[in-house]
Amino acid sequence: MIHIENLTKSFTATTKKGLKTEKTIVNAVNQVSFDCKPGRIFSLLGPNGAGKTTTLRMIAGIIKPTSGTAIVDGVDILKDSDEVKKHIGFLTGSTGLYERLNPDETIDFFGKLYKIPEAQLQERKEYLFEKLGINDFRKKRMGQMSTGMKQKVSIARTLIHDPEVLIFDEPTSGLDVITAESIIELIRESKENNKTVIFSSHIMSEVDLLCDDLAIINNGSIIYNDTFENFKGEMKAKNLTQEFINRVKEA
Amino acid sequence: MNDLFIIIKKELTELLRDKKTIINSIVLPTVLVPILIFGAMKVTEMIQKSNEEKSVKIGLVNAPKNFYNLVAADTLNKITVYEEVRDFKQLIDDETIQTAIVFPSDWDAQMNNLSTSEVQIFRNGSKDNVNGRATKLIEIYNAQLKAARITTLEIPTEKLTPFTENYVEVGEQKEVIGKRIGGFIPYLFILTMWGGCLLAAVDLVTGEKERKTIETTLSLPISKFKVLLGKTIVASLLGFIPALLNLVGLIVGLKLIDGIPAVFNDAIGEMLNFQSITMILLLLIPFSLFLSGLIIALVAGATSFKEAQSKASPIIMLIIIPLVLALMPGIELTWSTVLIPVLNIGLGVKEIMAGTIDMTQYAVILLSLLAFAVGAVYFSYKKFSDENAILK
Repeated sequence: MIHIENLTKSFTATTKKGLKTEKTIVNAVNQVSFDCKPGRIFSLLGPNGAGKTTTLRMIAGIIKPTSGTAIVDGVDILKDSDEVKKHIGFLTGSTGLYERLNPDETIDFFGKLYKIPEAQLQERKEYLFEKLGINDFRKKRMGQMSTGMKQKVSIARTLIHDPEVLIFDEPTSGLDVITAESIIELIRESKENNKTVIFSSHIMSEVDLLCDDLAIINNGSIIYNDTFENFKGEMKAKNLTQEFINRVKEA
Repeated sequence: MNDLFIIIKKELTELLRDKKTIINSIVLPTVLVPILIFGAMKVTEMIQKSNEEKSVKIGLVNAPKNFYNLVAADTLNKITVYEEVRDFKQLIDDETIQTAIVFPSDWDAQMNNLSTSEVQIFRNGSKDNVNGRATKLIEIYNAQLKAARITTLEIPTEKLTPFTENYVEVGEQKEVIGKRIGGFIPYLFILTMWGGCLLAAVDLVTGEKERKTIETTLSLPISKFKVLLGKTIVASLLGFIPALLNLVGLIVGLKLIDGIPAVFNDAIGEMLNFQSITMILLLLIPFSLFLSGLIIALVAGATSFKEAQSKASPIIMLIIIPLVLALMPGIELTWSTVLIPVLNIGLGVKEIMAGTIDMTQYAVILLSLLAFAVGAVYFSYKKFSDENAILK
């Protein structure tokens, strides 16, 4: 379960005008509130620069909110962001893997920091390696792997501590269809396992395939938040992409 | 604490799997000093040998027979006798001769009168080997003539020698040599340490950004401070290890390379004992932490290796200037210099090697370096926590 309440993130933007420097405060995310429930997939949609990544990074405890808060699996991100991270599996297009380590070392490194008991860690690692087909290249360094292989290890890294909450930020961005399919499968399975799933995307076919609830964010503010079923019921355009574009433009 | 060890282990594993790190932090520092010692000795030996074997073209004017014979006795001297003074500047410039020695035409008469005459020596001041050999010939001839005059005048030698000098060295050889060469030792340590810290810090911070792993690292369930501290410790280790290997290289090089004067070798051996090595290394630990913290703070906002290196490179001036000052005569370890980083290490190592370090001053240097290290780590933590900079 994720409960987000008035989450705001401000950044100071510096612009130089001749010898003078002007500082302006920009709200990348402004008073955002929504809930994500276990066993359902929540899609956060928005154009580039809308504030999706900033929102998800705040929920994942990577950056601190300026105001507002998020309660993730019962833990307040303002009170204990490190504890929140233990409850989250975070996978994005920019969560790369350490190139000079192999999958075995990578998963051991994460497992130890998640404080998984050694026997349990090895058991879980073997289960994920078998399920994702990593055994064939488990001793190969990450830097020598294909994108597909790396993605499998990233999934194993995200799931090693069996988190209750999964956050995906444009997880299929830049991946080929076969590799992207493994991510789609992972999101589906997480829902079946009653996990709370939130993912951001601007690929409408993925949203159509996976989404239960959705919110549209534009210029840092939520402009729509309801179930996907209701969204489709209210659609005026012919397809999802057009409806999304219209709503962003109207906002 | 366990989390910190896990981070350190992972960062070290990653760095030590990089060929660049192995070459720059392990191989080069170990072989650098022996190669420098061996190379310097061999080059000096070669130059000396080559100079000794070179012939010197000497022009003589009005040279007395004795002097001519003295010059001709060395077959490497090629003599050209001139009847009168010529344009020797031109002749030396076009290398017809390399030096010219001109005696006055009434030389024999002046010598017979026991008067003081003048010998002109035409030379190019930049030709050390030629000038050295010509000067030596003149000195020998001068001494021969003096001896002949003393005999002629029947003056007892002791009457011409009012006193002889007898220098009694009260400083230990270790102190004398330590003060002279002790200032150069930190150059080796600190510059290799700087190189190691820079390479590691840039790889651990900017490298993570370039390889897109910084967000992965920040999603770990540990504080940013532990991540940063782990990186700082690893960067300082990668600075400290080359410095240590430099020292090992120096000791091993001195033991294995033949031809080093025994006096020098013994003095260095005495200087680099367990106590002095421990004291030097103890200074280098907080200093490497200070350097690593400072570099990480500077490169935290950089997005590429190139940008990181251009941001961190100016620090080298802050290192070299105090090291040069530490070598200058008159600059000593005092209560005002003990608190200046780098300068205090330069001066401190000099005193440690000479065996004259004041232990209170040493403790103050150590404490001040620790304080600087803590300050630098805090500064780097502030920069590393800057979300705008680190997630750029």
